[in-house]
Amino acid sequence: MKPNFVQKVTNWGNFPIVEKEMKSDDSVSKIKQFVRDNNEVIARGNGRCYGDASLGEHIFSTKRLNKFISFDRLNGIIECESGVLLSEVLEVTVPQGYFLYVTPGTKFVSVGGAIASDVHGKNHHAEGCFSEYVTEFKLLNENSEVITCSREENTDKFWATIGGMGLTGIILSAKFKLKNIESAYIRQESIKAENLDEVFKLFDESEDWTYNVAWIDCFQKGKNLGRSILMRGEHALKAELPSNLQKKSLKLKEKFKPTVPFYFPGFVLNALTIKIFNFLYYNKQTKKQLNNFIDYETFFYPLDVINDWNKIYGKSGFIQYQMVIPKENGKEGMRQILDAIAKSGNGSFLAVLKLFGKDNPLAYNSFPKEGYTLALDFKVNKGLKKLVEQLDTIVENFGGRIYLTKDSMSKSSLTNYLQNVDSSKFVSLQHKRILSGGN
Amino acid sequence: MIVLGSNSEVAQAFVEECLAQGEKFPTIYLLSSNPETTEKFAGHLQVKFLQNSEIIPLDLMKEIDYKALENINSDLLFCASGYLGLGTEEGLYDDENTTQIIDVNYAKLVPVLNFFAKKMESKRSGTMIVLSSVAGERGRQSNFIYGSAKAGLTAYLSGLRNYLFDKKVHVLTVKPGFMETKMTEGLPLNPALTATPKKAAAGIYKAYKNKKDVAYVLPIWAIIMMIIRNIPEFIFKKLKL
Repeated sequence: MKPNFVQKVTNWGNFPIVEKEMKSDDSVSKIKQFVRDNNEVIARGNGRCYGDASLGEHIFSTKRLNKFISFDRLNGIIECESGVLLSEVLEVTVPQGYFLYVTPGTKFVSVGGAIASDVHGKNHHAEGCFSEYVTEFKLLNENSEVITCSREENTDKFWATIGGMGLTGIILSAKFKLKNIESAYIRQESIKAENLDEVFKLFDESEDWTYNVAWIDCFQKGKNLGRSILMRGEHALKAELPSNLQKKSLKLKEKFKPTVPFYFPGFVLNALTIKIFNFLYYNKQTKKQLNNFIDYETFFYPLDVINDWNKIYGKSGFIQYQMVIPKENGKEGMRQILDAIAKSGNGSFLAVLKLFGKDNPLAYNSFPKEGYTLALDFKVNKGLKKLVEQLDTIVENFGGRIYLTKDSMSKSSLTNYLQNVDSSKFVSLQHKRILSGGN
Repeated sequence: MIVLGSNSEVAQAFVEECLAQGEKFPTIYLLSSNPETTEKFAGHLQVKFLQNSEIIPLDLMKEIDYKALENINSDLLFCASGYLGLGTEEGLYDDENTTQIIDVNYAKLVPVLNFFAKKMESKRSGTMIVLSSVAGERGRQSNFIYGSAKAGLTAYLSGLRNYLFDKKVHVLTVKPGFMETKMTEGLPLNPALTATPKKAAAGIYKAYKNKKDVAYVLPIWAIIMMIIRNIPEFIFKKLKL
């Protein structure tokens, strides 16, 4: 049997599915060889981006770059290879009293992916993006050389790679800072908001909280448009925890994780079932406000508790649509977007609203800009393209942009914002699609 | 723990599985033909589990320096040393290939295993976990030099288990089927018959704790091999396996 590296590859949204070459190795000389031998190379971590960003003609999977390199336990600086997942970082660091400064809504992304996407979390307004805490990384560039990039060394490449979607090379390893925590728990307040005005007001009032996020029921119309639950949180101090949690404040109990066994048939997720889900979710909390302590996994990664949840969307897959609209127009933009979705009947199972703070001008390829950001899941179906076009127009009118990590069908005028990444060597299917103006 | 073939993905996954399960080892001895590569793994164990390890060069294709192994002692040995070499079509009449396959999988490996077996025998405790192969259960035209060396290893392990039984040393023979490793990357393996190193390691750990004698990594392989073993030779010789 001769090896044939061409295989079906798809990312978390199961859309699109392509047949391309994919290889993995942990030896730098072999990776260099792969880059020398091929044009149109793209690195892929754990495939947790949603669209076609990490797909390309020749995919290098970093799954074998999975080793930790060092951990300065005194200063909270960790170094690992780029294929290490954030979940693995947390496994090592949480019991030692350290947490990631910035984490996205799943812990199953690779460190390399977190840099290439410059991921953000519920604390963007307070603590910025992942890159703020990256001190250096090693990049295999288009000449097949390994270079160290930091704020002092190879600065151009450092900032171009951050949020650069893998188009500057293959990140081999990275060093980043962690934050001190006293416990693995979050002091949380969840507050119900009856409509968009109320949730915007809550966001303004919660500015001093480190973590803020709102879940929106996007089936509501009229005066209920934007009905939502805002959740705000802080890392709990050991002393404020209830006594039963204090004893092992940095250790979480192992939880049972169900797995979605197969792709759900197409009819399972439809307007009615999503409506029911949203109704139950909103009404699960009976009080206006609920204050409690929850473990970090439940707070940051509610969906990670179900393995393979992407299969719920069926074989046709789904897209995630995440946009940001600058603050001055944010409220009106959100209103129009939610209105368009409610009218289309294409409900989203999950709609998450956040308020971004100021961006770091040095990280010019990063997605976040000061303003409101909304992330929505949509099952791929015939009407979806039209809805995306509608939403794109609204986002464009308000001067917003789309998150490349989740994009697979948005307008190139909203996604063509990367600078200093053009390379003949590193190209993704997404980049080609965007440059050709196609969608 | 003593690890032979420390750069094998299954060996590394097994070490991690043991540590994740809370096993404690004063030192893990990482024996490897490529110590430079092993260093990365040693560093990883230090960061992830605060686990000390020592790297000892051991190349089964060269002269073995038993002096360097003298001070190594542990109650647990895991051996993933192995060499696939070229299959029949490309490599049958290539003497160097044939010799290397036999050396690494059997001829030079057995004395090293014996060396550690003797230490365990004298202490009257220990477990030896050795990866053999389903290829050793019946010679097939596609890679029977490899298969025959593994058959020899399997027979050796079965005898060793028998010999060490009343000396309180346990021998576990593992017969992995397909595994998703660098060795098999790019081959069209059936996912239902293929284990990831992590899954294989979890299965091997369970077999070790349950004091199993022989374990397949995925149970389905026990059935497949039972069928393959029982095909009459006059039919088997006509098959293209």
